[in-house]
Amino acid sequence: MTMLRLSRRTLFNALFVSTLALAAGPATAAGFPEKPITIVVNWPAGGGQDTAARLIADWASKRAPVPIIVSNVTGAGGANGIRAAAEAEPDGYTLGIMGSSFVARGYLNENATPLEDIDPLVFFGPDPGALEVRADTGIKTVQDYIDKLKAEPGSIINGNDAPGGSSHIVASLFESAFDVEMTKVPYQGYAPTVAAIISGEVQSATLPVHQLADQHKAGDIIILAVAAEARHFLTPDVPTFKELGFDFVAGDWRALFLPNGVPSETKTYLEKLFMETMSDPAFVEAAQKVGFMVTPMPPAETKAWIVAHDAAVYPILLDADLVTTRKK
Amino acid sequence: MFDVFAAALIEIATRPDLLGLSLTGVMVGIILGALPGVSSTMALAILLPLSYAMPTDAAMVFLIGVFSSSVFGGSISAILINIPGTPGAIVTQFDGYPMAKSGRAGEALSYALLASTVGGLLGLAILSIVAPLIASAALQFRSPEFAMAAIFGLTMLAYASPGSTFRGILVGCIGLIVGMVGFDKLTDVARFDFGTRVLQNGIDIVPLTVGIFGFAEVLINLSSTNQPITHVARINRIFPPLASLPKLIAPMMRGSLIGTFVGAIPAAGSAIAVALAYAQEQRLSKEPETFGKGAPAGIVAPEASNNACVGGALVPMMTLGVPGDTMTAVLMGALLLHGLRPGPLLFAENPQMVGTIFGSLFFAILLTLVFGFVAIAAIIQFLKMPRHILMVGIATLCIFGSFAVRNTMSDVYIMIAFGAVGFVMNKLKLPTAPLAFGLVLGPLLEENLRRSLIISRGSWSVFIDRPISLVLILLSMAALLYPLVGLYRKNRREQTGREI
Repeated sequence: MTMLRLSRRTLFNALFVSTLALAAGPATAAGFPEKPITIVVNWPAGGGQDTAARLIADWASKRAPVPIIVSNVTGAGGANGIRAAAEAEPDGYTLGIMGSSFVARGYLNENATPLEDIDPLVFFGPDPGALEVRADTGIKTVQDYIDKLKAEPGSIINGNDAPGGSSHIVASLFESAFDVEMTKVPYQGYAPTVAAIISGEVQSATLPVHQLADQHKAGDIIILAVAAEARHFLTPDVPTFKELGFDFVAGDWRALFLPNGVPSETKTYLEKLFMETMSDPAFVEAAQKVGFMVTPMPPAETKAWIVAHDAAVYPILLDADLVTTRKK
Repeated sequence: MFDVFAAALIEIATRPDLLGLSLTGVMVGIILGALPGVSSTMALAILLPLSYAMPTDAAMVFLIGVFSSSVFGGSISAILINIPGTPGAIVTQFDGYPMAKSGRAGEALSYALLASTVGGLLGLAILSIVAPLIASAALQFRSPEFAMAAIFGLTMLAYASPGSTFRGILVGCIGLIVGMVGFDKLTDVARFDFGTRVLQNGIDIVPLTVGIFGFAEVLINLSSTNQPITHVARINRIFPPLASLPKLIAPMMRGSLIGTFVGAIPAAGSAIAVALAYAQEQRLSKEPETFGKGAPAGIVAPEASNNACVGGALVPMMTLGVPGDTMTAVLMGALLLHGLRPGPLLFAENPQMVGTIFGSLFFAILLTLVFGFVAIAAIIQFLKMPRHILMVGIATLCIFGSFAVRNTMSDVYIMIAFGAVGFVMNKLKLPTAPLAFGLVLGPLLEENLRRSLIISRGSWSVFIDRPISLVLILLSMAALLYPLVGLYRKNRREQTGREI
């Protein structure tokens, strides 16, 4: 009887230890990675986030011994995909990609993942916002635009995302920076907003540059200024707000992140893998063709970027009565 | 334009590598499209990295093959097992499945394939002839027009269930309410989620249709104990009777036109096109009571429509640089990766690429027709499987298909819940199709109605000031008043005792 119990316990212990060893195995061993790595995208296939992730996955696969694949977990305004990556096993085999809407989402939706629950990995690049107007509005400069709104608040109809989305935040930041008021009309993402400004349903937009670069060249749409530190490579003729004397920088950005608790060796491996991939000039060129700016940054700087973005956006959200949860 | 198109056709026809790629794309597209949950968009996104290494023209030939054929693929599962393979197939099953159930699966698939070909070719023809024209016309279709088109679609609900009009409207209203669950599209505030994550996702059209049609069917089969095991009759023919075809030309044409135009409207999508095409056909039909029971017109109109959408969706991409739907968004991504930026300058700066796109679509449509007929013969053998095994397989596909849409379990729970709803509705003899219509049209109406009113600063006159919107209102009123006219005439006839 004792023998049996003993052997049972031994067996149990053996099992327990081996399970532990198995569980800890891939994390501590130098053998990472041993199976495919997944990047979870929180928006549907075909969108900007998805294109960026697939590009990264494709180029990083060439440097990694295992395939890197993309999985779209969508819905709930992007909150599902973020949560799927944040709550994944912290073994380094699941990453997520986030954009600026992550920050706003955290204050709009109590079920969304807060910054504390994720571990920023590598910054991909900014997608600077810009101010675009239809050529037939007669508005030629940022100053014209501001003057028109000062004279008649709300007189310009601007197309943007629903509250919390990137181009809505850019529009709101613009209103607050210049103390003006536009009529903000929400659309479901960038493509419908582009259609709205081209068709004349709205007069201006706060979309990222690459969305309207061609229309700018064709002359139907004028990009008045870019809300970035430097001019955009697609539209070298368009000045930045800073050049025009306005201190206004805003827009979308993208970064890879891990769930909390990934072992540091694994994290270091992934950091190196993605930093090297994104620093490859051939990758930067491929990304530029699609309209992406690539400015990779390591984890600490990425986190600082997100914190800074949070600090800039929070008062705007609070002002617009959008903060429904996690009030500071 | 035609010389570039012709040059591209000759180029593809004389290069075995391009032809092979087109055929490969078509075969893969049909298979992926037929898998529930793998939409055309997903099929394209999955295969996109394969095209990185190809030259630009080869990549286009391959991807457009996948794009075009996956639309027909989606209809295969809709017809055979009552589960739409892609969102564009959500109404094909209304008549396709009943037809297949009565032992005419081969015919149903052939109707779908023929209509797909006609729709695809018409869409392509319109694309190649009047792309820039359509692009500007489609841009006239803005929020007020979307809202009124949705109203027009909803008036069709009155015709959607002959004999039980009020039940149809009741179910349609439930569909409208279901469409409000999840994030408000304009304010991003969660509604009707009762604090749960599952409902916060909203109710997607695919899990709902998979539930009320596919899973409910499994439940109904489970509940009827005296179901004969050898349910599926011999499949006698694949080709539909030739005599039935001339009558179907008009539905195919109307479906194609609706499809091309709706496809050309940025972000409208094929689900809306097929819903409108089906409702329209049912209203115009001389025998609307046959709809939902295997009416060929109920298959060919939406099938022509969703394939014409392909050509239509390419219009805004090639002329404006705006993707018409998510599929063309992936295609555009592929072009961008190859350093080609579609947009207002594409026709002027890169006519060869325009020709290649037209040529690729042409071959994709033709090869889908050829491969489709070969495949139909093989695919319908699948139905000879014993019913109980088939049901297990269908239940599995229902779960897989609803999960794969957004990779979340929430959609699986929603699918199962709507399976139960569909089962109960079947027992109560309530029509299920209006639920899907309500869910497609409700969010479209709400979003665009509210947005129109923001833009017009609260003035409702925006809907009658704009010509297209006004016409749609008049059409809706005509559709509502038409039965009254009929009633009036009937009364007069009874009173005077003679024909008017």
